[in-house]
Amino acid sequence: MLEKEITVSNKLGLHARASAKLVQALHGFQASAFILCRGKEVNAKSIMGVMMLAAGLGTPVTLRTQGVDEAAAMQTMVDLFQRKFDEGQ
Amino acid sequence: MRLVLTGGRASYGMALGRARLEQPSRYLIDERLLDENEIGGEVERLTLALAAAREELRILREKIHGAMTREVAEFVDAHSLMLADHEFTNGMFDLIRIGRYHASAALKMQRDNIVAVFESMDDPYLRSRKEDIDHVIARVQANLQRDTSHEERKLAARTGEILVSDTVAPSELVPLAEHGVLGVVLSSGSTVSHGAILARSLHLPMLVAVHDALAYIQDDDLILIDGEQGEVVVHPTAQDLARYRTWQRDATQKDKRLALLRDADTRTRDGVSIALYANAESPADIAQARAFGAAGVGLYRTEFLFLQRKELPNEEEQFLAYRDLALGMGGLPVTIRTLDLGADKTDSSGVALDGEENPALGVRGVRLSLRRPQLMASQLRAILRASAYGPVRVLVPMVTTVEEMHDVRRMLTDCERELRASGQTIATHIELGAMIEVPAAALALPSIIRSVDFVAIGTNDLVQYTLAVDRNNDQLANLYDPLHPAVLKLIANTIAVAHKAGRRVSLCGEMAGNKHYTALLIALGLTDFSMHPALMLEVRETVNTLDRAALRVHAAALLRAPTRAKIEHALARLSSAG
Repeated sequence: MLEKEITVSNKLGLHARASAKLVQALHGFQASAFILCRGKEVNAKSIMGVMMLAAGLGTPVTLRTQGVDEAAAMQTMVDLFQRKFDEGQ
Repeated sequence: MRLVLTGGRASYGMALGRARLEQPSRYLIDERLLDENEIGGEVERLTLALAAAREELRILREKIHGAMTREVAEFVDAHSLMLADHEFTNGMFDLIRIGRYHASAALKMQRDNIVAVFESMDDPYLRSRKEDIDHVIARVQANLQRDTSHEERKLAARTGEILVSDTVAPSELVPLAEHGVLGVVLSSGSTVSHGAILARSLHLPMLVAVHDALAYIQDDDLILIDGEQGEVVVHPTAQDLARYRTWQRDATQKDKRLALLRDADTRTRDGVSIALYANAESPADIAQARAFGAAGVGLYRTEFLFLQRKELPNEEEQFLAYRDLALGMGGLPVTIRTLDLGADKTDSSGVALDGEENPALGVRGVRLSLRRPQLMASQLRAILRASAYGPVRVLVPMVTTVEEMHDVRRMLTDCERELRASGQTIATHIELGAMIEVPAAALALPSIIRSVDFVAIGTNDLVQYTLAVDRNNDQLANLYDPLHPAVLKLIANTIAVAHKAGRRVSLCGEMAGNKHYTALLIALGLTDFSMHPALMLEVRETVNTLDRAALRVHAAALLRAPTRAKIEHALARLSSAG
């Protein structure tokens, strides 16, 4: 199991389109993936779960992956957060 | 207690009757609990509705292109993922299986639960995105309802009643009129919408944008629609009723007077022949056009073959429709406009794009046709084949550039060659025309005119695009003004350029059928009008009182008038001059 703390840094936060990109990026990984935020834990492969976190700009979250390809899945998630979900701001 | 509500006059005339209210309820939510043996069926219904909604999004995704592609596609992707997300759908299935709710109620409860979470969010953007949930849920609800009833909704109003509702779809108006409904009062809507145009052609009194109608009118209240004043009188007094009776008597007399004009020529007092063409789609329109002495069909809108259906009409089906039109007009010319879907006319066959950011400025008319060359070719072939049965002309909507006409001309020539090669009989020459409804086309007409055989001015869109006013937005109804000096200049310019180039020009927007504009249009040089056949006798009566030479003298003064008030003033002088 891997865990990493990261801050939501895109301006609009984890809204529907950003959440969709996360879910799509994780598609195909065997590892399970979770996001922990303000005491809640949601399945990062469920768009509804991610959206319902209401994680806006500046919210600290913990990413967690578990499974055979957990490292690659983690890297994919971290990349997407760091690229601000390709939203440019 | 007498109460007067005001609104927009979508259709003239008066009507007196009992009110029948249709409360806005977009989706029927079935609140009853299921029996044990119904649960399996309800789970199946929801499964199918979810699958149908996903399929709609998949098709939509394939059709997206253009400037907003990425943005729109991302929304579509997000919505598809929501529909596929078990954490979203399992809750609904549990509500059906365990809670024994109908699918529609389960959807609504799931929606309310999720929206409650969104509404508690601090971040204003994230909070506003409960819209995504609503869009997704609405799409599934629509699919559920589609499966329960093939008719979209049943309007309860009957003979002798006046329908009071928030909106009415154009497709609902015809059955209402046939069932003897006397009039329609809507709390929203606009006087230039397609519904309003249809109501006028059905002679169905209709008021729109009567904002408080649903709050102040109750079922079975006696109400009087006064389409002349733009008022609804709730609980009319003896005085109101007397006014209604006077109107009724005048209307009957007018009908008798107009009936005498059925076989009359349309000719100004100074002997200039004016051609009145009909805008016609249905066999009833065509019969009326013939009965009222139309010079031909000036506008046949082919999109009516495409609306309200799932699959596209093929070449053969279109050919039969166009052939019957040509035969029905008995040798009089028929102008067939190629597909004009898009903007406020969307279809269910999936040709027009969904979800455009700004559909009025989007892929509509010829823009859509040129992106779907096979669709366009089947339409052109069908029209060409119909040309063996009577004179037909092809009219292209939403033309902006001359290149679009070159492209269509090339396709038409190719289709002609193929058909001749395969031994089909078609007319030796098919005229090709452009709709002038985009200001750019009106201004660039000197370059376009050489590439076309005729032009038709579409004033409804020309006004909307020139004035940047959405014709369906009731908040802007006072700005939607065909008498704006800019609109008059574009119309006058189009007529003058076309005539100078020796091309016929007709006008087929709402202005053509409104007798208040007849003198103005004749003053600007127009000789070909195209309107709903029901309006032809009134316009003919007006034309026959006018003196064209006297009116033409005033054209320059009209075009110089800087304000609407000055134009109105000049128009009043025109009436006395004519």
